[in-house]
Amino acid sequence: MKLRDVLPRGYAFTVIGITVGVAGLVSLGAMAERITRFIEGGDRFVLGQISVAGEGMGMGTGFTAGGLLPASRIAEIAAVPGVSGAQAQVMLPFNTSTSSFLTLTQELIMGMDLSVPMPNRHYRELPVRSGRPLRSGDRRVTVLGVDFAAARHLAAGGTVTLAGQDFSIVGILEKTFTAPDRFALVPIEDARELWLRRDPLLVQAFGAGSLRRGDLNTGAAVGWRDGEDPDALARRIQTTVKGLNVTIPGELSQLLRQSTAFFSALLLGIGALGLLIGGLSLANTVTAAVFERIRDFGIKRALGATDLDLLGEVLGEGLRVSLWGGVSGVALALVLGTAVDARVLRDGQQLFLFSSRLLVFALAFSVALGALAAGYATWRIARLSPAEAIRRGT
Amino acid sequence: MPVLDRVDLELESGEFVAVAGPSGSGKSTLLNLLGLLEPPDSGEVWLGSERVSHLGRRAQARARGASIGYVFQSFLLLSGLTALENVLLAARYVGKDRPEARRDALALLERMEVAHRKDHYPTQLSGGEQQRVAYCRAVLNRPPLVLADEPTGNLDDLHARAILSELRALAAGGNTAVLLVTHRTEGQAGTDRVLYLSGGRLASRPPASVA
Repeated sequence: MKLRDVLPRGYAFTVIGITVGVAGLVSLGAMAERITRFIEGGDRFVLGQISVAGEGMGMGTGFTAGGLLPASRIAEIAAVPGVSGAQAQVMLPFNTSTSSFLTLTQELIMGMDLSVPMPNRHYRELPVRSGRPLRSGDRRVTVLGVDFAAARHLAAGGTVTLAGQDFSIVGILEKTFTAPDRFALVPIEDARELWLRRDPLLVQAFGAGSLRRGDLNTGAAVGWRDGEDPDALARRIQTTVKGLNVTIPGELSQLLRQSTAFFSALLLGIGALGLLIGGLSLANTVTAAVFERIRDFGIKRALGATDLDLLGEVLGEGLRVSLWGGVSGVALALVLGTAVDARVLRDGQQLFLFSSRLLVFALAFSVALGALAAGYATWRIARLSPAEAIRRGT
Repeated sequence: MPVLDRVDLELESGEFVAVAGPSGSGKSTLLNLLGLLEPPDSGEVWLGSERVSHLGRRAQARARGASIGYVFQSFLLLSGLTALENVLLAARYVGKDRPEARRDALALLERMEVAHRKDHYPTQLSGGEQQRVAYCRAVLNRPPLVLADEPTGNLDDLHARAILSELRALAAGGNTAVLLVTHRTEGQAGTDRVLYLSGGRLASRPPASVA
């Protein structure tokens, strides 16, 4: 098969023009997809559990900002009717510098009580891409979020230093596109130890004998039984167990959405801009390519081509050219996006998400718009007499 | 302002007629009207027993493809197609059998001595070669009417004589009427009739200023 059979001669620059337009559309779309997935992922996580911390402020971080949550309180929470389980957690910032504290990109060390099943209804266990998950009885081992690992070129089987202590990496999580991608999961005993090493005030409290190790929790993830209304249960926990900061899942979700309203507007703008720029570029290129051949159409009409013949030919060529441009544009965006992400990932970030729905949409959009533009141009040309078309194109 | 005024022209099969006239006299407009390349403001064009000027767009297109061949001064070959593909283009829109069309096209190119250039694109051909390819395209469907608009305008004398000779031979075959627009006097030689277009009027004698 010759190249001319799949790509009409003289359309190279048209294909390049479409490629650039579609690459722009796909790149902007991939950024919008990335933001959408981040928001959706966060929403999914917080709606899958009731997050609880001790009364007060400033002890914890991540989702459970609040005071210390002693073991006795966690036991009380677990006894509240409707609760399916309460898992003690310790969340510590990986980097203690204030510049990264409580930002969307914060990296966390998350200690989990592995003797209790993970209560999050949407994440019964965090999916592992390579290696294995944490198991009850593990010590000084960690499972890393995919971005955390990628930023440091770490893999299962290696070691990582967390708060000055070496940990064996036993697994790497699947990409979740939300917070766990930047987590280092460790057994809760190890997290407590890291916390004590970091915080001299806590050591003094231990010295006074007022605290036991099991009380060193920044919070707990609470699950609910089937049929329970999580918001109602969260309020029930708040009133039943004293001294708690309970997050109402529905309210948190609403708060999250409010706080990400800017991003939602931004991604809507990015998407609209992508469609406009990519669409205009594509339509303009195809239309110009057809108008450039106005003389050819005049000649063909002189040789007996009907309007339908011409429309069929132009649509066929337009579809082929648009498809070529679409595929090349998608490929270009993938190559550039992957290269940029590889560069940016050094900081644990991902800018682009090339979802299959985005790629299918971009291809369908470019082909449909290409056909529409070609059809419009043909209609304009068909209104001319053959002699006029030949004159204008000469 | 009307370009043509009360023009009445009848061509018989096998007739070779030349139309002469100064620049801007409406020669090309006459050819465009007769070839259904432009709609007349008024008047009629008949092809055989059919009033083709009043047909619908689709039927007119079919009539152009099957019954009229064009040879233009600037050749008007499609730059994206080879010489052979340009000739075959004439067969595409009339539903001619493809192998048969290819056989005929190759035979025509052979006769016009450009078969060895069949796979070349127009930009790779000389003016004489392009016009011979254009001639092959015009006669591939054996149309009853061939319209030639200054076909020798861009050719040297040798190639001009060759094309005119082909057009004469075509008409002499008896099945095709050839209408030639030319300002060359040697082009008018050998035609059955020479008509003169001046002031929008067609006459069988040259205007006094020319005569």
